[in-house]
Amino acid sequence: MRFPSILSLALLAASPLAGQQRFTGRIATVVESLGVAATARGLPVDPVIEKAIEGSAKGIPAERLTTALRVVVDQLDTAAASLRAGGISGDTIAIAAGEFAITAGLHGRDITELARTGRPAADVTVGLRVAGTLAALGVPPLESVKLVSAELRLGRSPADLLALPGRVESEVAHGATPAQAAAGLTRAAAGQAGGQGGPAGPGGPHHGPPPGKSGEPPPHPPHP
Amino acid sequence: MNEREFHPDVKRLLDGEITIADLPPELRAEGEEALRLLAAVDRSPVSTPAVTWRVMAALERRRQRVRWPLLLVPALAMAAALVLWININRPSMVGPSAASNVVTVRFVLVAPGAQHVSLAGTFNHWDPRATPLVRSGAGDLWTATLSLPSGQHQYAFVVDGTRWVPDPAAPAVDDGFGRRNSVLTL
Repeated sequence: MRFPSILSLALLAASPLAGQQRFTGRIATVVESLGVAATARGLPVDPVIEKAIEGSAKGIPAERLTTALRVVVDQLDTAAASLRAGGISGDTIAIAAGEFAITAGLHGRDITELARTGRPAADVTVGLRVAGTLAALGVPPLESVKLVSAELRLGRSPADLLALPGRVESEVAHGATPAQAAAGLTRAAAGQAGGQGGPAGPGGPHHGPPPGKSGEPPPHPPHP
Repeated sequence: MNEREFHPDVKRLLDGEITIADLPPELRAEGEEALRLLAAVDRSPVSTPAVTWRVMAALERRRQRVRWPLLLVPALAMAAALVLWININRPSMVGPSAASNVVTVRFVLVAPGAQHVSLAGTFNHWDPRATPLVRSGAGDLWTATLSLPSGQHQYAFVVDGTRWVPDPAAPAVDDGFGRRNSVLTL
């Protein structure tokens, strides 16, 4: 699924938003320039437009807003490259989700790790949003990725993935730190993977052959 | 900032996870105040972002443990009546259209002294005039109910037209401008 990128830009120009002067002509020029370039690279343009509207609504000065827009495009580039490295290409919704995850504190390698779970792009998209939300809750990015990756590899539904932040919050309410809560849920997922006959170990659930004697982590399954 | 944030245990009380009797004595007054504020809000079947995940988790736990009879316990029933719960309208699961799920969400902010509170976010193009909150009860509690598509949303409250305030009880991320946006993942 793709954002209708160029169409979005065209509609933006013709939409009531433009009529309400949601952002200045200077910012509109920047958005158009960045948007066209982003679209040419297969990136979604909606996050750029949304950030421009947000910054204008908040009264952010044009220079600072322009910088923020460039950061968004950079993060979209990083997300797209990281997804490609994990076997997912051309899905602009997944790229936008990756950009959010980066904003929340994840790194490109984390996005690649989630993409390599071998799940459909739509599930990885939800996983990226959830991993970002977990990071926003205070779970260290590494723990967030371990947990979401484990759940994705178990074939969890999007609803199950979306419940993860609440499960972490529940554990935190009982006194755990966000990191402890996420680690506990990861261990539980690993246990379930083991119960299903999967090659899960104490370090988390894995696909593919069990860890070898070398102690190297097992390879990720090939992405379809 | 004078927005009120309740103690985590009081939030659990509001979520129906515990009863007022489970609160330590020093928190009971705060708990009673929270219940009083919440009682002023109508009881339509919705959820706030702040409690959505806890409610979902609670419901999920109850399903997994097959402990629905516990809901009959009077104390839990009283708490359940106060829980703002989720009403997910799931259209027919016909391929990709399943992604168009709509979730009804209630946003709540306790803002003593505020004259006007609104909601701005990705779902209304960050327009601070588009979604005003309604003052409830004693006047400190502001609420708004929206139907939002499933997905990931960012938002903030706008107090008195100028002050952008993240939801005190929701996760937040850097907005790129030195402030924080609250995050709602549905």
